[in-house]
Amino acid sequence: MKNSTIKKDPLEIIGRAKGHSYREIIDKLPRHCKFSPYLIDQVKNIPEVILRNSGTPFAKKINRMMREVTTEAYRAKQFTRTEINNRGVLFGVVLLKHKVLDSVLNYFHERWPQCIICLYNEYSCKTGVINEKGTIQEIDAPLKSVVEKVSKNRPVIPYFDDIQFSGKEIFETLYKSQFISERENKSYFKRMIPDKCFELPGMRHGVEKRFRNKRINEFL
Amino acid sequence: MPSVLEKIRVLGENSKYDICASTASSRTDKYPKLFGDSKNWIGTTASAGICHSYTPDGRCMSLFKTLYTNKCIYNCKYCFSHNCKKKLSFTPEEYARTFMKLYSMNVVEGVFISSGVCGSADDTTEEMLEAIKLLRFKYNFQGYVHFKCLPGVSQYLLKEAISLSDRISINTEASTKDYLAEIAEQKDFKNDIIMRQRWLKEIRIKHNDETLKVIKDLKQDAQLKYQEKMIKDRRNNGYKKFRWDGAPILNSGQTTQFVVGAAENESDYDLLKRIDWGYKEVDLRRAYFSSFIPIEGTPLACKQAAPLAREHRLYQSDWLLRIYHYKLKDLKEILIEDDNLPIGDPKIHLARLYFKDHGLVDPNQASYSDLLRVPGIGPISAKRIINLRSKKFKFRRRQDLKSVGVVLKRAEPYLLINGKNQTTLQNFIYQDNNSAPQEEMI
Ligand code: SF4
Repeated sequence: MKNSTIKKDPLEIIGRAKGHSYREIIDKLPRHCKFSPYLIDQVKNIPEVILRNSGTPFAKKINRMMREVTTEAYRAKQFTRTEINNRGVLFGVVLLKHKVLDSVLNYFHERWPQCIICLYNEYSCKTGVINEKGTIQEIDAPLKSVVEKVSKNRPVIPYFDDIQFSGKEIFETLYKSQFISERENKSYFKRMIPDKCFELPGMRHGVEKRFRNKRINEFL
Repeated sequence: MPSVLEKIRVLGENSKYDICASTASSRTDKYPKLFGDSKNWIGTTASAGICHSYTPDGRCMSLFKTLYTNKCIYNCKYCFSHNCKKKLSFTPEEYARTFMKLYSMNVVEGVFISSGVCGSADDTTEEMLEAIKLLRFKYNFQGYVHFKCLPGVSQYLLKEAISLSDRISINTEASTKDYLAEIAEQKDFKNDIIMRQRWLKEIRIKHNDETLKVIKDLKQDAQLKYQEKMIKDRRNNGYKKFRWDGAPILNSGQTTQFVVGAAENESDYDLLKRIDWGYKEVDLRRAYFSSFIPIEGTPLACKQAAPLAREHRLYQSDWLLRIYHYKLKDLKEILIEDDNLPIGDPKIHLARLYFKDHGLVDPNQASYSDLLRVPGIGPISAKRIINLRSKKFKFRRRQDLKSVGVVLKRAEPYLLINGKNQTTLQNFIYQDNNSAPQEEMI
């Protein structure tokens, strides 16, 4: 297909159905672990409509990479289980291959603006920290020592002191209480929690891994 | 003294048939929050759609959903209260604290508070509101709260509930007075439910009109003073004048829920008529349907469970009324005996009927409403098609339609693409025999 015909295609301008715009690609693609600047040069030579519709194998590859980045961030926000100590330090473990730690940290920062958030990335073995002002830092140390260090200079805050009890059992009880056997739908469940999510640190030994107290993989 | 864990086990189980969407609420930022965007707020509703856990049946479980108490003066025939021997209640403090703990673990996204009616609707509602006030004002929680109103609750409490929550609902349970009497004889359909639904609409409209006028009329200095006073008085009175976060408008819309298949002979049409009324008369945002499931020990224990497919068809039809703006009379045309919906997707049934008379659709010429009638074309893709046509774009290829989001597999039987209709096997056989009646192709 000639470039000139493609350029006239109005789908390029308003027919957005799927895929990503140039802008989104330029913003997000560098977050992919296999990114190289050469990819952006190539992207710029392809009409947006082709990119959006995965019109060539290269466009398909770019869309796949974009999807991998967004899904990883989204999944981390969904399934990272966190804890909070009485000094207002919220912490948890993530497994992020791509460079999306800042977006996950910001997500938690928006929720807990007075807290310091520490997320240990099992992939890079570094701990990402975001403070109350929203400044992000990556520290080459394990989670425990980072949490101890940042907690040391903070006073005990009654608000957080008030919720210092184990919630794990509470959540498991709540989770089990919602099960309606008449609505059992294994394939739907499997679709909602794909196997690879079980690999996320927050999901390890999590109740979602179980189905009627059996491991999901025993069923499937 | 029962532990919190025991309460969650029992009260969570008792609320499991209540349905709620994930944090499907958008708070308008059109008006400034008088109490300011304090850094002390905890939580957000910005990332709607994040579901932190899924129950084994695949539904997402994004809210802390339990009853406040399972003690109840009513005796609804389908309800767990008949066989649940353990009668428990949270205290407001317990409820709020437990939720905040779960929120800090990132396992829930918001609150869904419902309850049995213990003593009176007002007494129970006051306690439920106390729990929500603790969340809002002690724990500074600014995330999602869905408040289930109890039948027969007073107007002033409804006003408070709207001010404190993002979503508010009253379960209608059945479509008419008679059907409700059949399954919950003590509830007064008109007074306890319909009147409350009307109040919810009135409270919101009246409040928004009046408050916006007051704010507009205040001079800038006075506005500041007013604001300071409200901040100081937030816990006691401020939230009664404004929304809990200080925004002058109340935007918590109302929803409702029906038990499908509990009342004998209640048809799909009865239910659709009721929700259509809700959309027109009480500003209903959406309706939920919960298929009846018999619970042992209740008067309806021997009744057959309603098929989940029926619930699904009702959701599909509701979608057609609410999002596609189909008329109730359109849906009436596809009903089968007993005024129930036929098996299968209602939109396909409607399309078969409609295009039999109107012929196939050419995406280059069809009106927006005709496009919407094609299965596989939704409001967004229909708008895109119209948009592109206004730019003189012609749809000649299947890919053109695919790229605007049309689901070709569903849409093709009703479309003329470049003057041609999809060749189905049936179509092919007819062509071979030199006869191709259009309606049969469909
Ligand atoms: S009002 Fe009816 S459905 Fe609700 S808790 Fe009481 S008995 Fe059960």
